[in-house]
Amino acid sequence: MIRAESVSYSYSGGGQTVSDLTFHIQKGEFVALIGENGAGKTTTVKLIDGLLRPTSGRMLVNGMDTVKSKVSERARQVGFLFQNPDRQICKNTVRDEIAFGLRAVWGRGEAAKIDERVKELLDLFSFRGDEEPFSLSRGQRQQVALASTLAVKPAVLILDEPTTGLDYRECTKIMEFIRNLNETEGTTVVMVCHDMEVVLDYARRALVMAGGRLLADGPVREIFRDADLMARASLLPPQIIQLSGRLGGRYALADDAETLAELIAEGDRRGTV
Amino acid sequence: MTDLFQYTPGTSPLHRMNPITKIVLTLAVCAAAFLTDNLFVLLFLLLFDLMIGVVGRVERKAFSIFKGLFKVSLFLFVLQALFVRRGNRLFWIVTDEGLLTAAAVVLRLLVVCLPLALVLAVTQVSDIAGALVQVLHVPYAYAFTLTTAIRFIPQFMEEMSGIMEAQTARGVEFDSKNFLKKLGMLLPLCAPLLISSVRRTQATATAAEVRGFALRTSRSGYRQYRFGAVDFMGFLVSAALVAGAVLIP
Repeated sequence: MIRAESVSYSYSGGGQTVSDLTFHIQKGEFVALIGENGAGKTTTVKLIDGLLRPTSGRMLVNGMDTVKSKVSERARQVGFLFQNPDRQICKNTVRDEIAFGLRAVWGRGEAAKIDERVKELLDLFSFRGDEEPFSLSRGQRQQVALASTLAVKPAVLILDEPTTGLDYRECTKIMEFIRNLNETEGTTVVMVCHDMEVVLDYARRALVMAGGRLLADGPVREIFRDADLMARASLLPPQIIQLSGRLGGRYALADDAETLAELIAEGDRRGTV
Repeated sequence: MTDLFQYTPGTSPLHRMNPITKIVLTLAVCAAAFLTDNLFVLLFLLLFDLMIGVVGRVERKAFSIFKGLFKVSLFLFVLQALFVRRGNRLFWIVTDEGLLTAAAVVLRLLVVCLPLALVLAVTQVSDIAGALVQVLHVPYAYAFTLTTAIRFIPQFMEEMSGIMEAQTARGVEFDSKNFLKKLGMLLPLCAPLLISSVRRTQATATAAEVRGFALRTSRSGYRQYRFGAVDFMGFLVSAALVAGAVLIP
């Protein structure tokens, strides 16, 4: 679905660069991009959507070179949820806001189809259609932005720090929704995220970045278990993985557990066998 | 474009000059440009601008401003040349006086635009405000308005390009080549830009308030803005520029 072939990019005014990125993301994957600030995560997702064009190398989305097609045309395939929902929202009602992207991508001729899709999304997120998006809370605005991104049913969904500024409940709601989409519709998800707990809970594969380079690429748990790698990327693994690592011995093997109780029970069981 | 109004650090005489002198010099150049109709004087002023750029080590910026103004200048030139009806006809509907007026207008535009931007390139905005308050006793609120306006320009531009990026990703065709089409698409973007600006303004006002904004007077600043030999030179040059513009016919 997404294939990066030794992609490099540097901003014209200096600033951060990414160099020699090579990875391949299959359809239906749930990938997290992790690394400290300035590691090049946002640059990488912008390269995937073609908002930035690689200075060397090739970025292919769905077999198409991002340099050869327009970003606005790619909008029907790739949905991009930005960090700041206020940059996305530009209409006076939630209903118009969701319809805005649909009109841009499907064309104004499809009014009936658009109305239907908007209604579907309003129900799904339990929004009131007449509400003003700018008077909503930050978390709700994020959801409005997500709804309008999802409206066109993109095959790839890019999330740039989708959970910043959200409380636990809002974060869970949004992430559960995305997981559901990934599992039922097979939407490919690429997520930039600083919350390692969220990464552990939802993503299946992680790309670790530092200083504009790809340090590692693998299943989330394996990545988190590699203490040396985590240190190099200046990341702290989720608590449960830290705990099992510190306990060591039979508990170290049990870090597939998702809760503390499971970790202890699994470790104890191994101890008695 | 975004770094057009940004400070370039340095130690040139221009950097060391008192902000007030720089403002006076800028005003002198502008006044001279408007007082004269002589093309040679205007050309000289333009050279003077460029020299200032070289002395301040910001010649690159000066050049990029030139480049930025090129299209506008060309447009102005053609417009003036076509619409000034006095003088002898040279070809088609263009007259000799039309061409001269057009050249003067364009030169004047360049002469006036450059020093304003160059002052900002060699002076920190906070120093301009500080000097205004301390030396000229301008109320701090006004000085603050000035500095905030200048400081917000790059932020504003960044916000705008961020919004355009977000909208392009949603399928709005900002990457299309059609200028008129693009213009029509810009209108809906004014809402998010306006709202983010109002939010930012409110946040700035609150932050200023809690840090004792209302208490600031001309004696509050830590830095002293004294006048030295460079400033004396600056004032002399300013006077010479204005006098020259008035005296040379």
